[in-house]
Amino acid sequence: MALCETKVDPRFKYEVASRPGGDRIKTCFACGVCTAGCPVAEVDEEYNPRRIIRKVLLGLREEVLSSDLIWLCTTCHTCHAHCPQDVRFTDIMGVLREMAVEHGFVHPSFLERMEQADEFSQKVRRALVLSMLPGKAKSESVDFRALLAGVVNSLGSGEE
Amino acid sequence: MAADRKNKVGAALVVGGGIAGMQASLDLAESGFYVYLVEKSPSIGGTMARLDKTFPTNDCAMCILSPKLVECGRHLNIESLTNAEVLDIEGTEGQFKVKIRQNPRYIDLSKCTGCGDCEKACPVRVKNQYEYGLGERKAVFRPFPQAYPNAFSIEKKDRALCTVSCPAGVHAQGYVALIRDGKFKEAVRLVKRNNPLPAICGRVCHHPCEASCKRGLIDDPIAICHLKRFIADYEYERGVCVDPEPKPSRGVKVAVVGSGPAGLTCAYDLALEGFDVTVFEALPVAGGMLTVGIPPYRLPKDVIRAEIGAIERLGVEIRCNTALGRDVSLSDLKAQGYRAVFIAVGAHREQRLGIEGEDAAGVLSGVDFLREMNLQKPVKVGESVLVIGGGNVAIDAARSALRLGAKKVTILYRRSRAEMPANEHEVEEAQREGIEIQFLTAPHRVIAENGVARGLECVRMRLGKPDASGRRRPEPIPGSLFTVAGDTIISAIGQVPDLSFADEAPEITDRGRWLKADPDTLETSVPGVFAGGDAVTGPATVVEAVAAGKRAAESILRYLEGRDLREDRVFDKPHMVVGDVPKERAREARKKWPTLPLSERLSGFAEVELPYTAEQAVAEASRCLDCGVCSECLECEAACRANAVMHDDEPVIREIEVGAVVLCPGFEAFDPSPLTQYGYGKYKNVVTSLEFERILSASGPYEGHVVRPSDHRTPKRIAFVQCIGSRDVKEAESYCSSVCCMYAIKEAVIAKEHVSGDLDITIFFMDMRAYGKDFEKYYNRAREEHGVRFVRAKVYGVEEDRSNQNLRVRFTHEDGHMDTEEFDMVVLSVGMRPKADTVELAKRVGLHLDEHNYVLSSGVAAVATSTPGIFVSGAFAGPKDIPETVMEASAAAAAVGSVLAPERFTRVSAKQYPKERDVRNKRPRIGVFVCHCGINIGGVVRVPEIVEYARTLPYVVYAEENLYTCSQDTQDKIKALIEEHDLNRIVVASCSPRTHEPLFQQTIREAGLNPYLFEMANIRDQCSWVHMHEPAAATRKAKDLVAMAVAKAARLEPLKRHKVPVIQKAMVIGGGPAGMTAALGFADQGYPVYLVEREDSLGGNLKKLAKSLEGTDYKKLLSELVDRVSNNELVTVYTGAEIEAIDGFVGNFKTTLSVRGEKVSFEHGAVVVATGGKEYEPTEYLYGTDDRVMTQTQLEQRLAKGALPGRRVVMIQCVGSREPERPYCSRVCCGQAVKNALDILAADPSAEVTVLYRDMRTYGLKEDYYRAAREAGVTFIRYDDQAKPVVQALDGRLTVRVHDAVSGCDAEMDADCVVLGAAIVPHDDSKAVAQLLKVPVNDDRFFLEAHVKLRPVDFATDGVFVAGLAHAPKTVSESISQAMAAVGRAVTVISKESIEAGGIVASVIENRCTGCGACEQLCVFSAIRVNPDKKVAEVESAVCKGCGSCAANCRCGAIVLRGFTEEQILAEVAALPW
Repeated sequence: MALCETKVDPRFKYEVASRPGGDRIKTCFACGVCTAGCPVAEVDEEYNPRRIIRKVLLGLREEVLSSDLIWLCTTCHTCHAHCPQDVRFTDIMGVLREMAVEHGFVHPSFLERMEQADEFSQKVRRALVLSMLPGKAKSESVDFRALLAGVVNSLGSGEE
Repeated sequence: MAADRKNKVGAALVVGGGIAGMQASLDLAESGFYVYLVEKSPSIGGTMARLDKTFPTNDCAMCILSPKLVECGRHLNIESLTNAEVLDIEGTEGQFKVKIRQNPRYIDLSKCTGCGDCEKACPVRVKNQYEYGLGERKAVFRPFPQAYPNAFSIEKKDRALCTVSCPAGVHAQGYVALIRDGKFKEAVRLVKRNNPLPAICGRVCHHPCEASCKRGLIDDPIAICHLKRFIADYEYERGVCVDPEPKPSRGVKVAVVGSGPAGLTCAYDLALEGFDVTVFEALPVAGGMLTVGIPPYRLPKDVIRAEIGAIERLGVEIRCNTALGRDVSLSDLKAQGYRAVFIAVGAHREQRLGIEGEDAAGVLSGVDFLREMNLQKPVKVGESVLVIGGGNVAIDAARSALRLGAKKVTILYRRSRAEMPANEHEVEEAQREGIEIQFLTAPHRVIAENGVARGLECVRMRLGKPDASGRRRPEPIPGSLFTVAGDTIISAIGQVPDLSFADEAPEITDRGRWLKADPDTLETSVPGVFAGGDAVTGPATVVEAVAAGKRAAESILRYLEGRDLREDRVFDKPHMVVGDVPKERAREARKKWPTLPLSERLSGFAEVELPYTAEQAVAEASRCLDCGVCSECLECEAACRANAVMHDDEPVIREIEVGAVVLCPGFEAFDPSPLTQYGYGKYKNVVTSLEFERILSASGPYEGHVVRPSDHRTPKRIAFVQCIGSRDVKEAESYCSSVCCMYAIKEAVIAKEHVSGDLDITIFFMDMRAYGKDFEKYYNRAREEHGVRFVRAKVYGVEEDRSNQNLRVRFTHEDGHMDTEEFDMVVLSVGMRPKADTVELAKRVGLHLDEHNYVLSSGVAAVATSTPGIFVSGAFAGPKDIPETVMEASAAAAAVGSVLAPERFTRVSAKQYPKERDVRNKRPRIGVFVCHCGINIGGVVRVPEIVEYARTLPYVVYAEENLYTCSQDTQDKIKALIEEHDLNRIVVASCSPRTHEPLFQQTIREAGLNPYLFEMANIRDQCSWVHMHEPAAATRKAKDLVAMAVAKAARLEPLKRHKVPVIQKAMVIGGGPAGMTAALGFADQGYPVYLVEREDSLGGNLKKLAKSLEGTDYKKLLSELVDRVSNNELVTVYTGAEIEAIDGFVGNFKTTLSVRGEKVSFEHGAVVVATGGKEYEPTEYLYGTDDRVMTQTQLEQRLAKGALPGRRVVMIQCVGSREPERPYCSRVCCGQAVKNALDILAADPSAEVTVLYRDMRTYGLKEDYYRAAREAGVTFIRYDDQAKPVVQALDGRLTVRVHDAVSGCDAEMDADCVVLGAAIVPHDDSKAVAQLLKVPVNDDRFFLEAHVKLRPVDFATDGVFVAGLAHAPKTVSESISQAMAAVGRAVTVISKESIEAGGIVASVIENRCTGCGACEQLCVFSAIRVNPDKKVAEVESAVCKGCGSCAANCRCGAIVLRGFTEEQILAEVAALPW
């Protein structure tokens, strides 16, 4: 892909960096650890955190914000956990998603749904932990599959 | 000022004995200062001693280091304090007071000859820290064979808990370690040093050692007690004599009353001290409770007899049937001439139960019962026996009763099992034998019929609050009375002594109940009478009685010698420090020992517990964790024939005065275990780069075979993972460690060389930082010639395949493709960190440190710290490699020199020798000294035979053997023998001339012989060590070697060394920052200097630069330097000057200049070449055709003027560098780009700066600026050298096109200005200067130093040094450091009034020389040249190094190397029998 002056916004990276969570993006030195550890990249090579960061740094505002890729992050934080430069890619994805909505690349309801999904997964996690707590005896093995199914069902039906 | 000067101290402290410390010490000592070199470990050498090869020359690290070790170690004015730490530094520049703690080495340095016999004897193996834990070493060790001091040291932690907890102080870890080594006899001897009763204690001791054994925290404690029994039985059975040797009789009598363990031990210790000891025993047999208290199934009588017999063999007389008070009184003893008495009568009387019916028939006292039985008197028990009590006596009585025919035996104990004082094992065995124990049961009344006991009425108890003993007090439960039937009742509730004898001296008792003695010294209130054991303490254990006996013996010894009873004695229980328990030890249960089957037990009194087999004992002993490291088995002490071992060595605090300090403590490697994703510490085949150095090393744990740790198989694929611990702001250090890229390449290349054939190596890296001199070429060769694969990726993680211990490495390629590759081994390239303890010291001393804890420099050069008079060099001032470290060391020496110049030569001493005897025209009289080297030579070669043989050789008038020829007493002897026998040639047959020749030469000089009348035969390294299994052949070879040495010695001639005066002035060529710094350096040390500059003004490249990346203002620096140079009366500046000629040699140069057409000449003793370099003028990227294209330096000049070149700036790096015609990295351009980019953004935050680079080489602490530039918004895009950026100017539009692999974009950028990071190239005339000085340049026309690693500023030609860009591209600050280093080195020459010349040098036989000049071509030192007038070669002996290449190559045989003449060598060869 060719890239020329007309397509780039050199202030894009500053804008991302100015938002909460995006502040460390510029320190990226492109080592690629974020990508090597990413569970999404493992199934979809198109999804490449390092490339997304680089495109932000290069100022490819439209390309980045309009891309479906920014919605694929599972917020597992593996990238950030291993980043030697403390780039918080998961947070950056949040920033990019917000900006995508703000600039009209997606409908706000899409972000809302994504946030609901995130919230739901948080709840699943919390419910899983809570449901494990009473039977914490070490010898007991937990059937996670059954537990998960139960939790998801209960959340699905009894949603506030 | 004058007063100040007087107070300065002409000595320096150097902290850290690595390569920096050694270099600084040598430079300082060689320029007239006394040096204290403090090193924490047992040897100087530092990290470099542990490296295999060094880049970029692949020299063996140890081979190039070793000569420096010897030079530094043997230097008269360097005092090496190893095993020492600096505690504090106080004072100011010129006068510091330094407090040093000399930690114990446990080996006397003045006696140790380094023979290694102690190491062979040591049974303790621990992880070898020198090998980074990959191999093992002994507790007594020398870190590496070339170590200096060439002496061993012992590693001790706190003493092992087993040893500490033994009341008798038996070295338990010691004998366990010896058993592990199969040294059973030595083990018994060790026990017997503290306890004469190993076989007895090995059976009945309550073994507190096992209770405290740390192994018990992992699984089971070591069976220490049973092991002791095993060795004693084993050796006694074999009739091996383990008796110690008593001192000669003193003729002084001592009485011991009581032959129990306390009395016996006291008698034993005193007998060993030479006293005449008589033991008085009331009973008909000796042994006290051992004999009459403990039943034979537990302690057979023959065992007791054997150990008492051994005590009697020492001369102790035991008089049985002689009771104190009955047969003899204290006053009798005094009257009979006994000068002291130890009363240890024990406690043989049973306490009364104090209940109704106690006196009924059938109620027995436990001790009486056991005594009668043991004395084999008729003892009867009924069918049903009740035993009251829970101690060992109760158990012994119960089990004995069973053996005497009782059908049922019941023990009644008033507390619960947990409180039972009896040995747990005994209780278990009793229960196994069918004895019932009723707990919480106390006797209330004896039920008797007609005065005959029929049973007991008992009460149930419960446990209440703890009592004074800490155990819960039993209380009766009301109304719980019940009865137990039994016809024999044995009471065993405690014993008291029979003190009826004390009527004559009631004051020695405590109200008649116990004996009263001082708990520490055991003295009673009657002078000369001591008391101990059960009679004092109440019933206790055997080993406590032994301890009391020992204590009494020591007190009696002191008493009789009239010494203080307390002085220097430790009475308190030693502090127990549990410390860490090693987690990595596999669980392994205690080895079970056999016991007599139950069926065979009760029919008699046969011993129940049976010994280990030897194999079981060794296996059990092998479970020991070696808690104390040194086990204090004392075998080293026995093995050392030089008596150098001092186990009681203690730390010594020492205060010294110095005028200046150089800190060079080095670094510590980053520990990668917290970075769990790489699996270090978890997967065996993940090693650090330092461990891999040892794996590569021929002297390493695998002897240079590249194998992986898990299965010792040769790997086929190895991955190197870079930046472990570096460039990581989160979990490690943010900076770049500077050296890892290069050492990884080196290790890869060497590994490939070691594993011939197929070894694939991949290096995973982010930026390849091959920024040093000739590094890039090395990188290219690794890739192109050696086939090392380089993958640009940071590794995400490493996972092990458990089936084969292979490792899967996960990473992303630059194009985004995720990948996992499998390797056999992974090497983690770990970074550097400042050492925690030196950081501590630096803070204490008040040095300013940066955020990473590196020392902050107060000047442009790295060596100055915030405290005047304290300097730093090496990795404590930031991560760096060896040459820079060495450079800084010399620079620090120069800095110290400028502080202490007035005190030069005030603290140093020079060796004075007697006048040399004239041996010319005298018949050779050769003395031959053949060394045993402990058992190193003597254990293989039959030394006496060599001596006999030597006596038969021609001209040998004297020959002898020595245990250690190098020991101080032998040196004195050699001197006396030279005198006595008029010897005029000396031959020593021993070890290596490398370490020992200078010592022997010095000795014969002290005896008035010329040092060259000495010859050495290496019959150790080259004979006994390599032929250790063929003593006969080795002896023959040793004879041959001696014959050869003697044949040569007969032809040795005295060689003269003469003095050549030195002109104490210097010349510096080049007036840039390096040259000006060098000139000022000389002047500061008080030496006149000529500064020669080609241009019309001083300043060089500094004139073109504005500031450093770190912020140093170069304009200010320039004016300061120029000012100082111009105003210093010792500096003579010639600008506009060309050099026409430089003649002469070290110390005596003569230079002629042409200064603006006028000839000037002067003389000087040293030269510093600082001719500089310049920026390459690019031909690429429209440079010169479009004025918007400029170099980084041009940009810097514009920025300094405040003129921004535009808003959109694109920088292109590596212009002219790393290209086929210039295959080197210019080192400074990346930093300069970062600096300029930051400046642009600081001036205009809306600017867009893009840097196109190949590798960002912001090495070391510069990495932080690279990050700052990214943070500021600079965009960095890597380009490939195969796809360089394209710069175009079309219609006034300047564009740069580049492919960005990360985004996959072909980016086209508009630029207002394109900035080129242009290469640094040497000055055009560098070759001409090189020719004038006859020094070499490399392929890139940079000056080539003598050795890139260890002589970075020297040339092979003495007296000529190099600094700055003339040497290689570098920053201003690095140039300045190097200039200081050149001064530091040059001052070692010009500080001397004269230099010595001659000795082993070449000389020309003029009438044979044809003047062909071949020698002149060959000599790398420029020591030989053909005289154009005489047409013959002439040697400048002050320059000649005696390498002999000229002599070997002279076709006319006109050159002779003195000391190695043809005649001498042929005589050596002829002496070999064919």
